[in-house]
Amino acid sequence: MRWTPFLAAPAAVLVTVPAKATVYFSTEQAQRAIFPGASFTSAGSNVWRVSTGGYFVVDRVIGKHEYITYAVGINANGTIKQIEIMSYNESYGYEVRNASWRAQFVGKGAGSTLQLNADIKNISGATLSCKHITDGVRRVLASVKSR
Amino acid sequence: MRRARPLLGTLVEIEAQGSAGDGIAENALEQAVSAAFAAVALVHRLMSFHEPDSDLSRLNRRAVSEPVAVHPWTATVLRRARALFHATDGLFDCAIGHDLARLGLLPADGLGPAEAGNFSAVEFLPGNHITFTARIALDLGGIAKGFAVDRAIAVLRAHGVREALVDAGGDMRVMGRTAQPIYIRHPTEPAQLLLAGTLQNGAIATSSPAATLSLVEGRTASALIAAPTRTPIVERASYSVVAPTCVVADALTKVLAQVHTHFGRTDAPYFERFGASAIIIPASATDRQAA
Repeated sequence: MRWTPFLAAPAAVLVTVPAKATVYFSTEQAQRAIFPGASFTSAGSNVWRVSTGGYFVVDRVIGKHEYITYAVGINANGTIKQIEIMSYNESYGYEVRNASWRAQFVGKGAGSTLQLNADIKNISGATLSCKHITDGVRRVLASVKSR
Repeated sequence: MRRARPLLGTLVEIEAQGSAGDGIAENALEQAVSAAFAAVALVHRLMSFHEPDSDLSRLNRRAVSEPVAVHPWTATVLRRARALFHATDGLFDCAIGHDLARLGLLPADGLGPAEAGNFSAVEFLPGNHITFTARIALDLGGIAKGFAVDRAIAVLRAHGVREALVDAGGDMRVMGRTAQPIYIRHPTEPAQLLLAGTLQNGAIATSSPAATLSLVEGRTASALIAAPTRTPIVERASYSVVAPTCVVADALTKVLAQVHTHFGRTDAPYFERFGASAIIIPASATDRQAA
Protein backbone atom coordinates (compact mmCIF):
# COMPACT_ATOMS: atom_id res chain seq x y z
CA MET A 1 0.00 0.00 0.00
CA ARG A 2 1.16 3.53 -0.73
CA TRP A 3 -0.92 6.33 0.81
CA THR A 4 0.03 9.95 0.12
CA PRO A 5 -2.15 12.21 2.27
CA PHE A 6 -3.02 15.75 1.08
CA LEU A 7 -5.10 16.81 4.04
CA ALA A 8 -2.44 18.95 5.71
CA ALA A 9 -4.11 21.93 4.04
CA PRO A 10 -7.74 20.87 3.78
CA ALA A 11 -9.09 24.24 2.63
CA ALA A 12 -6.94 24.04 -0.48
CA VAL A 13 -8.38 20.78 -1.69
CA LEU A 14 -12.10 21.29 -1.26
CA VAL A 15 -14.05 20.46 -4.41
CA THR A 16 -17.69 21.35 -4.90
CA VAL A 17 -19.69 18.86 -6.91
CA PRO A 18 -23.09 20.27 -7.88
CA ALA A 19 -23.98 17.28 -10.05
CA LYS A 20 -22.31 14.00 -10.90
CA ALA A 21 -23.21 11.59 -13.65
CA THR A 22 -21.93 8.12 -14.40
CA VAL A 23 -23.13 6.15 -17.41
CA TYR A 24 -22.41 2.43 -17.33
CA PHE A 25 -24.59 1.05 -20.14
CA SER A 26 -26.78 2.11 -23.02
CA THR A 27 -29.99 0.07 -23.35
CA GLU A 28 -28.47 -2.06 -26.14
CA GLN A 29 -25.28 -2.70 -24.15
CA ALA A 30 -27.27 -3.71 -21.07
CA GLN A 31 -29.39 -6.08 -23.20
CA ARG A 32 -26.25 -7.74 -24.60
CA ALA A 33 -24.65 -7.97 -21.14
CA ILE A 34 -27.65 -9.59 -19.46
CA PHE A 35 -28.88 -11.77 -22.37
CA PRO A 36 -25.83 -12.43 -24.59
CA GLY A 37 -26.77 -13.48 -28.12
CA ALA A 38 -30.52 -12.93 -27.68
CA SER A 39 -32.77 -10.65 -29.70
CA PHE A 40 -35.34 -8.29 -28.22
CA THR A 41 -38.91 -7.38 -29.19
CA SER A 42 -40.52 -4.29 -27.70
CA ALA A 43 -43.42 -5.25 -25.45
CA GLY A 44 -44.43 -1.81 -24.25
CA SER A 45 -42.72 1.21 -22.77
CA ASN A 46 -39.24 0.16 -21.54
CA VAL A 47 -40.16 -3.54 -21.65
CA TRP A 48 -38.74 -6.06 -24.13
CA ARG A 49 -39.55 -9.72 -24.68
CA VAL A 50 -36.35 -11.77 -24.99
CA SER A 51 -35.98 -14.35 -27.81
CA THR A 52 -34.59 -16.92 -25.36
CA GLY A 53 -37.51 -16.42 -22.94
CA GLY A 54 -38.09 -13.83 -20.25
CA TYR A 55 -38.13 -10.06 -20.22
CA PHE A 56 -35.73 -7.13 -20.21
CA VAL A 57 -37.03 -4.05 -18.36
CA VAL A 58 -35.53 -0.58 -17.93
CA ASP A 59 -36.71 1.34 -14.89
CA ARG A 60 -35.79 4.53 -13.02
CA VAL A 61 -35.80 5.37 -9.33
CA ILE A 62 -35.52 8.81 -7.81
CA GLY A 63 -33.98 9.22 -4.38
CA LYS A 64 -33.46 12.34 -2.32
CA HIS A 65 -30.27 13.26 -4.16
CA GLU A 66 -29.94 10.63 -6.86
CA TYR A 67 -31.59 9.50 -10.04
CA ILE A 68 -30.76 5.96 -11.08
CA THR A 69 -31.60 4.12 -14.29
CA TYR A 70 -31.24 0.36 -14.14
CA ALA A 71 -32.01 -2.73 -16.18
CA VAL A 72 -33.59 -5.93 -14.88
CA GLY A 73 -33.24 -9.23 -16.76
CA ILE A 74 -36.08 -11.59 -15.88
CA ASN A 75 -35.90 -15.31 -16.63
CA ALA A 76 -38.74 -17.17 -18.36
CA ASN A 77 -39.79 -18.54 -14.94
CA GLY A 78 -40.17 -15.03 -13.53
CA THR A 79 -37.01 -15.00 -11.41
CA ILE A 80 -34.38 -12.28 -11.63
CA LYS A 81 -31.49 -13.13 -13.91
CA GLN A 82 -29.42 -10.00 -13.44
CA ILE A 83 -29.68 -6.34 -12.41
CA GLU A 84 -27.34 -3.76 -13.91
CA ILE A 85 -27.15 -0.07 -13.10
CA MET A 86 -27.25 1.83 -16.43
CA SER A 87 -26.68 5.33 -15.12
CA TYR A 88 -26.27 7.08 -11.83
CA ASN A 89 -26.85 10.80 -11.43
CA GLU A 90 -26.35 12.60 -8.16
CA SER A 91 -27.16 16.16 -7.31
CA TYR A 92 -26.92 18.51 -4.37
CA GLY A 93 -28.22 22.00 -4.78
CA TYR A 94 -30.55 21.02 -7.62
CA GLU A 95 -33.87 19.38 -7.09
CA VAL A 96 -33.58 15.80 -8.32
CA ARG A 97 -37.38 15.55 -8.50
CA ASN A 98 -37.37 18.48 -10.90
CA ALA A 99 -38.29 17.12 -14.35
CA SER A 100 -36.09 19.55 -16.26
CA TRP A 101 -33.05 18.55 -14.23
CA ARG A 102 -33.70 14.89 -15.04
CA ALA A 103 -34.46 15.62 -18.69
CA GLN A 104 -30.80 16.36 -19.38
CA PHE A 105 -29.98 12.69 -18.77
CA VAL A 106 -32.81 11.08 -20.73
CA GLY A 107 -31.55 9.16 -23.73
CA LYS A 108 -27.92 9.59 -22.78
CA GLY A 109 -26.05 6.37 -23.39
CA ALA A 110 -22.48 5.32 -22.91
CA GLY A 111 -21.58 6.77 -26.31
CA SER A 112 -23.02 10.23 -25.65
CA THR A 113 -21.03 13.28 -24.68
CA LEU A 114 -22.54 13.90 -21.26
CA GLN A 115 -19.62 14.82 -19.02
CA LEU A 116 -20.58 16.29 -15.67
CA ASN A 117 -17.60 16.11 -13.36
CA ALA A 118 -16.78 12.79 -14.95
CA ASP A 119 -13.30 12.89 -13.44
CA ILE A 120 -14.51 12.96 -9.86
CA LYS A 121 -14.73 9.40 -8.65
CA ASN A 122 -13.37 7.35 -5.75
CA ILE A 123 -15.50 9.13 -3.17
CA SER A 124 -15.37 7.64 0.30
CA GLY A 125 -18.30 8.61 2.42
CA ALA A 126 -21.63 7.72 3.86
CA THR A 127 -23.18 4.69 2.26
CA LEU A 128 -25.94 5.36 -0.21
CA SER A 129 -28.96 3.19 0.53
CA CYS A 130 -30.22 1.17 -2.43
CA LYS A 131 -33.56 0.48 -0.77
CA HIS A 132 -35.42 2.40 -3.48
CA ILE A 133 -33.79 0.19 -6.14
CA THR A 134 -34.92 -2.90 -4.23
CA ASP A 135 -38.44 -1.47 -4.10
CA GLY A 136 -38.24 -0.62 -7.81
CA VAL A 137 -37.19 -4.16 -8.74
CA ARG A 138 -40.12 -5.55 -6.73
CA ARG A 139 -42.44 -3.24 -8.67
CA VAL A 140 -40.90 -4.33 -12.02
CA LEU A 141 -41.31 -8.02 -11.13
CA ALA A 142 -44.95 -7.49 -10.17
CA SER A 143 -45.69 -5.65 -13.42
CA VAL A 144 -44.10 -8.41 -15.55
CA LYS A 145 -45.95 -11.16 -13.64
CA SER A 146 -49.26 -9.47 -14.36
CA ARG A 147 -48.63 -9.71 -18.14
CA MET B 1 -14.81 -1.28 -17.94
CA ARG B 2 -17.04 0.13 -15.23
CA ARG B 3 -20.10 -1.65 -13.85
CA ALA B 4 -22.44 -1.15 -10.88
CA ARG B 5 -24.99 -3.38 -9.18
CA PRO B 6 -27.22 -2.95 -6.13
CA LEU B 7 -25.69 -5.22 -3.45
CA LEU B 8 -24.90 -5.11 0.28
CA GLY B 9 -27.66 -2.53 0.71
CA THR B 10 -25.80 -0.02 -1.45
CA LEU B 11 -24.40 0.44 -4.95
CA VAL B 12 -21.29 -1.64 -5.60
CA GLU B 13 -19.13 -0.35 -8.43
CA ILE B 14 -16.32 -2.31 -10.06
CA GLU B 15 -13.88 -0.76 -12.49
CA ALA B 16 -11.32 -3.02 -14.13
CA GLN B 17 -8.76 -2.40 -16.82
CA GLY B 18 -6.59 -4.65 -18.88
CA SER B 19 -3.43 -2.60 -18.61
CA ALA B 20 -1.27 -2.22 -21.70
CA GLY B 21 0.88 -5.30 -22.25
CA ASP B 22 -1.27 -7.60 -20.14
CA GLY B 23 -3.55 -7.91 -23.13
CA ILE B 24 -6.63 -9.09 -21.25
CA ALA B 25 -9.44 -9.31 -23.75
CA GLU B 26 -12.73 -7.46 -23.37
CA ASN B 27 -14.83 -10.58 -22.81
CA ALA B 28 -12.29 -11.97 -20.31
CA LEU B 29 -12.55 -8.67 -18.45
CA GLU B 30 -16.36 -8.96 -18.54
CA GLN B 31 -16.13 -12.45 -17.04
CA ALA B 32 -13.71 -11.27 -14.34
CA VAL B 33 -16.04 -8.43 -13.33
CA SER B 34 -19.07 -10.78 -13.28
CA ALA B 35 -17.17 -13.24 -11.06
CA ALA B 36 -16.19 -10.39 -8.72
CA PHE B 37 -19.84 -9.31 -8.44
CA ALA B 38 -20.78 -12.94 -7.74
CA ALA B 39 -18.34 -12.97 -4.80
CA VAL B 40 -19.93 -9.78 -3.41
CA ALA B 41 -23.40 -11.29 -3.88
CA LEU B 42 -22.31 -14.42 -1.96
CA VAL B 43 -21.07 -12.29 0.96
CA HIS B 44 -24.43 -10.47 0.87
CA ARG B 45 -26.39 -13.77 0.99
CA LEU B 46 -24.24 -15.22 3.81
CA MET B 47 -23.95 -12.20 6.08
CA SER B 48 -27.11 -10.14 5.69
CA PHE B 49 -29.08 -9.43 8.85
CA HIS B 50 -32.22 -9.00 6.75
CA GLU B 51 -32.16 -12.36 4.91
CA PRO B 52 -33.72 -15.02 7.19
CA ASP B 53 -31.68 -17.83 5.60
CA SER B 54 -28.28 -16.12 5.81
CA ASP B 55 -25.55 -17.68 7.95
CA LEU B 56 -25.82 -14.64 10.18
CA SER B 57 -29.57 -15.01 10.76
CA ARG B 58 -29.17 -18.74 11.47
CA LEU B 59 -26.44 -17.93 14.00
CA ASN B 60 -28.53 -15.28 15.72
CA ARG B 61 -31.52 -17.64 15.95
CA ARG B 62 -29.82 -20.92 16.89
CA ALA B 63 -26.14 -20.65 17.89
CA VAL B 64 -27.05 -20.12 21.56
CA SER B 65 -28.74 -23.55 21.61
CA GLU B 66 -26.60 -25.66 19.24
CA PRO B 67 -23.51 -25.51 17.02
CA VAL B 68 -24.34 -23.92 13.66
CA ALA B 69 -22.35 -24.79 10.52
CA VAL B 70 -21.40 -21.75 8.46
CA HIS B 71 -19.73 -21.13 5.08
CA PRO B 72 -15.91 -20.85 5.25
CA TRP B 73 -16.17 -17.14 4.34
CA THR B 74 -18.52 -16.48 7.27
CA ALA B 75 -16.07 -18.30 9.57
CA THR B 76 -13.22 -16.19 8.14
CA VAL B 77 -15.12 -12.94 8.80
CA LEU B 78 -15.93 -14.06 12.35
CA ARG B 79 -12.26 -14.89 12.98
CA ARG B 80 -11.27 -11.43 11.68
CA ALA B 81 -13.95 -9.90 13.91
CA ARG B 82 -12.54 -11.78 16.90
CA ALA B 83 -8.97 -10.65 16.14
CA LEU B 84 -10.16 -7.03 15.82
CA PHE B 85 -12.24 -7.33 19.01
CA HIS B 86 -9.16 -8.41 20.99
CA ALA B 87 -6.76 -6.00 19.27
CA THR B 88 -8.98 -2.99 20.09
CA ASP B 89 -9.78 -3.91 23.72
CA GLY B 90 -13.34 -4.77 22.73
CA LEU B 91 -14.11 -1.52 20.92
CA PHE B 92 -14.72 -3.34 17.65
CA ASP B 93 -17.66 -5.50 18.70
CA CYS B 94 -20.07 -7.11 16.24
CA ALA B 95 -22.36 -8.26 19.07
CA ILE B 96 -24.52 -5.14 18.72
CA GLY B 97 -27.51 -6.72 16.97
CA HIS B 98 -29.79 -6.26 19.97
CA ASP B 99 -28.68 -2.64 20.38
CA LEU B 100 -29.47 -1.82 16.73
CA ALA B 101 -32.80 -3.66 16.94
CA ARG B 102 -33.71 -1.70 20.08
CA LEU B 103 -33.00 1.51 18.14
CA GLY B 104 -35.22 0.31 15.29
CA LEU B 105 -32.27 0.19 12.88
CA LEU B 106 -32.47 -3.58 12.39
CA PRO B 107 -35.53 -5.86 12.46
CA ALA B 108 -36.00 -7.56 15.83
CA ASP B 109 -38.07 -10.52 14.59
CA GLY B 110 -36.52 -13.93 15.25
CA LEU B 111 -33.90 -12.55 17.63
CA GLY B 112 -35.40 -13.70 20.90
CA PRO B 113 -34.88 -11.86 24.18
CA ALA B 114 -31.78 -9.67 24.43
CA GLU B 115 -29.05 -10.70 26.82
CA ALA B 116 -26.00 -8.70 27.80
CA GLY B 117 -22.82 -9.91 26.19
CA ASN B 118 -20.09 -9.13 23.73
CA PHE B 119 -18.13 -10.88 21.01
CA SER B 120 -16.33 -13.05 23.58
CA ALA B 121 -19.56 -15.13 23.66
CA VAL B 122 -18.75 -16.43 20.15
CA GLU B 123 -17.07 -19.86 20.28
CA PHE B 124 -15.33 -21.44 17.33
CA LEU B 125 -15.65 -25.22 16.94
CA PRO B 126 -13.93 -27.44 14.37
CA GLY B 127 -15.37 -27.65 10.86
CA ASN B 128 -16.61 -24.03 10.70
CA HIS B 129 -19.17 -24.61 13.44
CA ILE B 130 -20.05 -21.70 15.74
CA THR B 131 -21.85 -21.50 19.08
CA PHE B 132 -22.78 -18.57 21.34
CA THR B 133 -22.33 -18.84 25.12
CA ALA B 134 -24.85 -16.02 25.65
CA ARG B 135 -27.93 -14.87 23.75
CA ILE B 136 -26.09 -12.21 21.80
CA ALA B 137 -27.03 -11.05 18.29
CA LEU B 138 -24.28 -10.32 15.79
CA ASP B 139 -24.43 -7.65 13.12
CA LEU B 140 -21.66 -7.86 10.54
CA GLY B 141 -22.50 -4.45 9.04
CA GLY B 142 -19.19 -3.13 10.34
CA ILE B 143 -17.00 -5.64 8.56
CA ALA B 144 -18.80 -7.67 5.84
CA LYS B 145 -18.75 -4.85 3.29
CA GLY B 146 -14.98 -4.50 3.64
CA PHE B 147 -14.58 -8.28 3.38
CA ALA B 148 -16.73 -8.33 0.22
CA VAL B 149 -14.56 -5.62 -1.38
CA ASP B 150 -11.42 -7.64 -0.56
CA ARG B 151 -12.96 -10.83 -2.04
CA ALA B 152 -13.89 -8.96 -5.23
CA ILE B 153 -10.32 -7.67 -5.60
CA ALA B 154 -8.97 -11.21 -5.04
CA VAL B 155 -11.29 -12.60 -7.73
CA LEU B 156 -10.25 -9.90 -10.21
CA ARG B 157 -6.57 -10.63 -9.53
CA ALA B 158 -7.16 -14.39 -9.97
CA HIS B 159 -8.68 -13.59 -13.38
CA GLY B 160 -5.53 -11.76 -14.44
CA VAL B 161 -6.78 -8.21 -13.87
CA ARG B 162 -3.99 -5.94 -12.63
CA GLU B 163 -5.68 -2.50 -12.45
CA ALA B 164 -9.00 -2.30 -10.60
CA LEU B 165 -11.21 -0.41 -8.20
CA VAL B 166 -14.01 -1.92 -6.11
CA ASP B 167 -16.26 0.60 -4.37
CA ALA B 168 -19.08 -0.59 -2.09
CA GLY B 169 -20.95 2.64 -1.39
CA GLY B 170 -17.85 4.55 -0.34
CA ASP B 171 -15.80 1.70 1.16
CA MET B 172 -13.26 0.92 -1.55
CA ARG B 173 -10.03 -0.76 -2.48
CA VAL B 174 -7.71 -0.01 -5.39
CA MET B 175 -5.27 -2.38 -7.05
CA GLY B 176 -2.57 -1.64 -9.60
CA ARG B 177 0.26 0.66 -10.55
CA THR B 178 -1.86 3.81 -10.67
CA ALA B 179 -1.98 6.03 -7.60
CA GLN B 180 -5.68 6.97 -7.50
CA PRO B 181 -6.97 10.27 -6.12
CA ILE B 182 -9.30 9.63 -3.17
CA TYR B 183 -12.03 12.06 -2.15
CA ILE B 184 -13.90 12.08 1.14
CA ARG B 185 -17.42 13.44 1.21
CA HIS B 186 -18.02 16.15 3.76
CA PRO B 187 -20.23 14.65 6.50
CA THR B 188 -22.71 17.52 6.68
CA GLU B 189 -22.26 19.26 3.30
CA PRO B 190 -22.51 16.36 0.85
CA ALA B 191 -21.80 18.49 -2.25
CA GLN B 192 -18.36 19.19 -0.82
CA LEU B 193 -15.58 16.71 -1.45
CA LEU B 194 -12.15 16.80 0.15
CA LEU B 195 -9.25 15.51 -1.89
CA ALA B 196 -7.74 13.37 0.87
CA GLY B 197 -4.73 11.98 -0.99
CA THR B 198 -3.67 9.38 -3.48
CA LEU B 199 -3.82 5.66 -2.85
CA GLN B 200 -2.09 2.77 -4.53
CA ASN B 201 -2.84 -0.88 -3.64
CA GLY B 202 -4.84 -0.07 -0.56
CA ALA B 203 -8.28 0.55 0.88
CA ILE B 204 -10.27 3.35 2.47
CA ALA B 205 -13.56 3.22 4.36
CA THR B 206 -15.63 5.97 5.95
CA SER B 207 -18.26 5.89 8.69
CA SER B 208 -20.42 8.87 9.38
CA PRO B 209 -22.98 8.77 12.19
CA ALA B 210 -24.73 11.72 10.53
CA ALA B 211 -25.73 9.41 7.65
CA THR B 212 -27.93 7.25 9.88
CA LEU B 213 -29.08 9.84 12.44
CA SER B 214 -32.69 9.34 13.43
CA LEU B 215 -34.94 10.15 16.32
CA VAL B 216 -35.73 7.18 18.57
CA GLU B 217 -38.14 7.94 21.42
CA GLY B 218 -37.19 11.60 21.31
CA ARG B 219 -33.43 10.95 21.38
CA THR B 220 -30.99 11.12 18.49
CA ALA B 221 -29.66 7.71 17.45
CA SER B 222 -27.30 6.34 14.82
CA ALA B 223 -26.10 2.94 13.62
CA LEU B 224 -22.65 3.55 15.14
CA ILE B 225 -22.65 2.04 18.63
CA ALA B 226 -20.10 2.84 21.33
CA ALA B 227 -19.19 -0.59 22.74
CA PRO B 228 -18.46 0.51 26.36
CA THR B 229 -21.89 2.11 26.89
CA ARG B 230 -23.98 0.46 24.14
CA THR B 231 -25.23 3.88 23.12
CA PRO B 232 -25.24 5.38 19.62
CA ILE B 233 -22.61 7.91 18.57
CA VAL B 234 -24.31 11.09 17.38
CA GLU B 235 -21.29 13.26 16.53
CA ARG B 236 -21.72 14.71 13.02
CA ALA B 237 -18.11 14.19 11.98
CA SER B 238 -16.99 11.51 9.53
CA TYR B 239 -14.35 8.89 10.30
CA SER B 240 -12.17 7.49 7.53
CA VAL B 241 -9.48 4.83 7.72
CA VAL B 242 -6.86 3.98 5.11
CA ALA B 243 -5.51 0.43 5.44
CA PRO B 244 -3.93 -2.29 3.29
CA THR B 245 -7.21 -4.25 3.22
CA CYS B 246 -10.81 -3.03 3.16
CA VAL B 247 -11.92 -5.38 5.94
CA VAL B 248 -9.48 -3.64 8.33
CA ALA B 249 -10.35 -0.15 7.02
CA ASP B 250 -14.10 -0.84 7.41
CA ALA B 251 -13.76 -2.23 10.94
CA LEU B 252 -11.38 0.46 12.21
CA THR B 253 -13.73 3.32 11.23
CA LYS B 254 -15.98 2.15 14.08
CA VAL B 255 -13.01 2.12 16.46
CA LEU B 256 -11.90 5.59 15.34
CA ALA B 257 -15.40 7.02 15.94
CA GLN B 258 -15.36 5.60 19.47
CA VAL B 259 -11.90 6.75 20.52
CA HIS B 260 -12.71 10.22 19.19
CA THR B 261 -16.18 10.72 20.66
CA HIS B 262 -16.21 8.43 23.67
CA PHE B 263 -12.67 8.87 24.96
CA GLY B 264 -12.05 12.32 23.48
CA ARG B 265 -8.76 11.23 21.98
CA THR B 266 -7.36 12.94 18.93
CA ASP B 267 -4.83 10.22 18.15
CA ALA B 268 -5.63 6.77 16.76
CA PRO B 269 -4.47 4.02 19.10
CA TYR B 270 -4.45 0.44 17.79
CA PHE B 271 -3.87 1.67 14.23
CA GLU B 272 -0.13 1.17 13.89
CA ARG B 273 -0.18 -2.63 14.08
CA PHE B 274 -2.69 -2.68 11.21
CA GLY B 275 -0.67 -0.26 9.07
CA ALA B 276 -3.69 2.05 9.08
CA SER B 277 -4.08 5.86 8.96
CA ALA B 278 -7.01 7.87 10.33
CA ILE B 279 -8.78 10.91 8.85
CA ILE B 280 -11.47 12.78 10.79
CA ILE B 281 -13.54 15.39 8.97
CA PRO B 282 -15.37 17.54 11.52
CA ALA B 283 -18.90 18.81 10.98
CA SER B 284 -19.08 22.30 9.49
CA ALA B 285 -19.18 25.21 11.95
CA THR B 286 -22.88 25.85 11.41
CA ASP B 287 -23.74 22.18 12.01
CA ARG B 288 -21.69 22.15 15.17
CA GLN B 289 -23.71 25.09 16.47
CA ALA B 290 -26.95 23.34 15.54
CA ALA B 291 -25.86 20.10 17.22
